[in-house]
Amino acid sequence: MALLRPPLPHGGKLVDRVVKRPEIGIKMAAGCPTYDIKPTLYNGAPIRNVYREIMSICYGFFSPVEGSMVRDEVERVLNERRLLSEWIFPYPLVFDISEEDYKVLGVKEGDRLLLRLKGQPFAVLDVEEVYKLDPKELAERTFGTPEKNPEVVKVPFDEKHPGYVIYRCLNSVIIAGKYTIVNEPKFREPYDRFWLPPAKCREVIKNEKKWRTVIAHQTRNVPHVGHEMLMKNAAYTGDIEPCHGILVNAIIGAKRRGDYPDEAILEGHEAVNKYNYIKPSRHMVTFTLWDMRYGNPLESLLHGVIRQNLGCTHHMFGRDHAAVGEYYDMYATQILWTKGIPSFGFEAPPTEVDYGLKILPQNMAEFWYCPKCGEVAYSETCGHEKEKQKFSGSFIRGMVAEGIFPPNVIFRPEVYKVIVKWWKVFNYPFVNEKYLEWKNKELEIDLPPMEVPKA
Amino acid sequence: MPHYIGVILDDIRLKQIKGTPLEEKIQDLFGGTLKMLVVEVPEEKSKEILDNFDRARIDSRGYIEDVPVAFKRAIFEEIAKAKSLDIIDKVLEKLPEIQEDAKKESEYIPPPKIEE
Repeated sequence: MALLRPPLPHGGKLVDRVVKRPEIGIKMAAGCPTYDIKPTLYNGAPIRNVYREIMSICYGFFSPVEGSMVRDEVERVLNERRLLSEWIFPYPLVFDISEEDYKVLGVKEGDRLLLRLKGQPFAVLDVEEVYKLDPKELAERTFGTPEKNPEVVKVPFDEKHPGYVIYRCLNSVIIAGKYTIVNEPKFREPYDRFWLPPAKCREVIKNEKKWRTVIAHQTRNVPHVGHEMLMKNAAYTGDIEPCHGILVNAIIGAKRRGDYPDEAILEGHEAVNKYNYIKPSRHMVTFTLWDMRYGNPLESLLHGVIRQNLGCTHHMFGRDHAAVGEYYDMYATQILWTKGIPSFGFEAPPTEVDYGLKILPQNMAEFWYCPKCGEVAYSETCGHEKEKQKFSGSFIRGMVAEGIFPPNVIFRPEVYKVIVKWWKVFNYPFVNEKYLEWKNKELEIDLPPMEVPKA
Repeated sequence: MPHYIGVILDDIRLKQIKGTPLEEKIQDLFGGTLKMLVVEVPEEKSKEILDNFDRARIDSRGYIEDVPVAFKRAIFEEIAKAKSLDIIDKVLEKLPEIQEDAKKESEYIPPPKIEE
């Protein structure tokens, strides 16, 4: 058996569109019309900030995507889940702006637009095309319908689905073109110590960790013991030996009410290795900036792209991966990676199509506590179906909200203490509207002051 | 088909039902590390609960979850008072005042006192 090596980035090489030297950034931005980035709102609450997409694109998480997509590329992604360069990609990514703002700006093809964030220059957008789209149609086509995607879509998407709502609430004017970050942001605590963009992450995996094989763990949760068991057991896959490393990559951004705050998610996972439930030489925590679309199979495809770019050889996928509600079949992600979903453009799994992914999927079922076995057991191994006790996320959230110290078999005490630490900071254990508003104001970053000469 | 509400019992709650017939109905969870009482909720009543709390849902075990803490507290208070699990009607009578308490919960839930 051939030994596995980290795959090349998706598209062949990592996108790097970050100017490191401020004087060059100033030169690039000088004289440009400026626009202050605004969040996408739903009933007044921020549900997306395009700055996270700009960061993930420019630092190469979404390689080979380099900017806001032109109309033809959006069409291609919606019809075939492919970029114009042929490489597979799940979601349309666009820079949207209101008609009123566009009238004031008046930029056109060939112009350069300076995007400001928190009152400072942040990135430039080199305009290739300006066009209009219908957000409702975009939302429907992005996630699919029971009629057009009968293999996996069970019920029509509606405004209870947070990803659908993001697309539904976009402005109708799209400015397409490549982004370049001209003023490199600084991450605030605790994000700074988990920030490993793809180029750096690959370097750490190769030179510091010395991992040849790495399995990615997708998370938007503080880890309970069921998650820990998933990580430990999925990592037994590999080639001639189990995976050398487990890379936890948390999705950081606007989330739905009831999820845990991002700070608790990162530090909760960190506690798993800090207190040696999985030793730090085998476990590392990082994050990607992205306002989750909860698109189950499509989201799993994006996760594959991101984690291949980060240098992972494998990716674990559970049931109901990155899902909310019952819009998709609970095995939709596993169907995609096992046999493909033709109506989404995949006659075969994403690893078996041209210009596809190289990261290897590890589809996992679930872990539960079995009182008969007296241990946390894998659902495909343990036959005590009647006795099982599931790690129900909502049950655990209920226990946390009631202030009950969870037993060691549900949450490691050090992980629970992280939840309480951030609970005290935000006066609330979960994401609520106040947290979303605070987060939208503060974001995860600060920008150094930069003076750019005006036109 | 009925649904269920699980009421977790910490030491304080266990003391409140000590010596009552409820002790026999306590279920062990996760190897006995958690104790729980289970209240059965007829389908039409579970619908009333779901209608009254927008985040409430039935999970894959058939349990009503994501209800406000105030609702869970009211359930236990009624159980302790009646020394019975047949209390769902009594709790539903109190819905307006539970909802008032629940509104405050969207902004603030007091953190537990734990050793750092």
